[in-house]
Amino acid sequence: MPTEKIADQTFEEIPVAEEPVEEKYFTFGKFKINFAPLVCCSAIKQKIVWSVGGGLAGLLIVLLILASLLKKPSVSPKQAQPATPTPTPFEEEITSPSIYATDSAILKIEADLKTIDQDLQSTDLKEVGLNPPVLDMEVKFEEE
Amino acid sequence: MKRFLPIFLFTLLLFYSFTLAHAQEFDFNRAYDDYIYTYSQYRVAHSEYVSAKQAYLNYKTLTSKTEAQNKTLKMLEWRDEVIKTYLTALRLKLAETTGISNYEQNVLYLKLDSEVSWYIKHHDALSSAGSLEDLVDSAGEAQSKYQETEVLIYQALETILSGKETALRQHLNQQMESLKNKIAEIREKGDKKTTVAERWLLEAENRLTRSQEKQSAAQQILTKIKPYDSNKNQSYNQAQFALEESHQYLKEANLNLRELIREVKSAN
Repeated sequence: MPTEKIADQTFEEIPVAEEPVEEKYFTFGKFKINFAPLVCCSAIKQKIVWSVGGGLAGLLIVLLILASLLKKPSVSPKQAQPATPTPTPFEEEITSPSIYATDSAILKIEADLKTIDQDLQSTDLKEVGLNPPVLDMEVKFEEE
Repeated sequence: MKRFLPIFLFTLLLFYSFTLAHAQEFDFNRAYDDYIYTYSQYRVAHSEYVSAKQAYLNYKTLTSKTEAQNKTLKMLEWRDEVIKTYLTALRLKLAETTGISNYEQNVLYLKLDSEVSWYIKHHDALSSAGSLEDLVDSAGEAQSKYQETEVLIYQALETILSGKETALRQHLNQQMESLKNKIAEIREKGDKKTTVAERWLLEAENRLTRSQEKQSAAQQILTKIKPYDSNKNQSYNQAQFALEESHQYLKEANLNLRELIREVKSAN
């Protein structure tokens, strides 16, 4: 069986053919800039990506620091509290009413109890405005 | 035209006298406004007194002493005025509060009036003080008197709050009596079971009794206050807390009665 003889060769010595540099121009008025080396060369490409990425990350960090420094002071817990909810009295509907459901005496007492309930809720048992005045009762002219 | 002039003048006079009488009506709100105004004046006078006192203590000159005497006099006058207007406001609040017995009200009126006249006399006597030392002595008299006044103040405040509680309890008792009669009527007719309703009634009665007990406890706390006690305010806070508990029992009693109504209105 004939075998193909492979010639000995050292790969390090193989001349690397230079990539054809495609010329890419950007014209701005009189100026003409060639971007080809930047676009073509992979090492430079990587460098650009890293530097742009790093720059953006740095900028983001700086912005975050600035934002945290300039952030408005958080509202006090008292202000942050939501408005006090006012409970709505739950009244279950009477499905099977008795003969007393429409009794005038019962309805009157029910209405009176509702009024008393409102009074109970609105009664001020602190009367802070009536607390005794704070007065300086000790008058003396001596060095303390 | 001349004939109508006297009629017109008479009407005008009548209207004027009516508005004047209306303007002179002295109620709690008016008295309270007076007290607030007087208190603000006292605070101004007090800050001036503090500055004058400091200047006198620093320089010990005759001028600074005279200035200190003037400022002290002014401050003491306003202080008496504050106590007087405050006691007057308290008296009118007592008058406007329902649920206080006539006897209790009259006893407190007498005590408050007596205190007010003491401060009026003291206020008048202040101007006759010849020196700063005399003023300091006079201020000392008011200081010891105020210890007694404070006891009266806290007792009056407790009476006002208790009066509110009593009035509410009386209303609840009235409703409870009406419900008792109605339930007895239903039981006699026998067209509806009354066992559950009677249980709610009993619960409400218990709550009202507990409420009364708490109110009595509050009154007991304040009867023990003495003029020389340094923590009168603390005792008053304790009494106030007992009254709040009493109020909670009233709320529960009201809820029980409303449950009772619901039970009566529902078929078995």
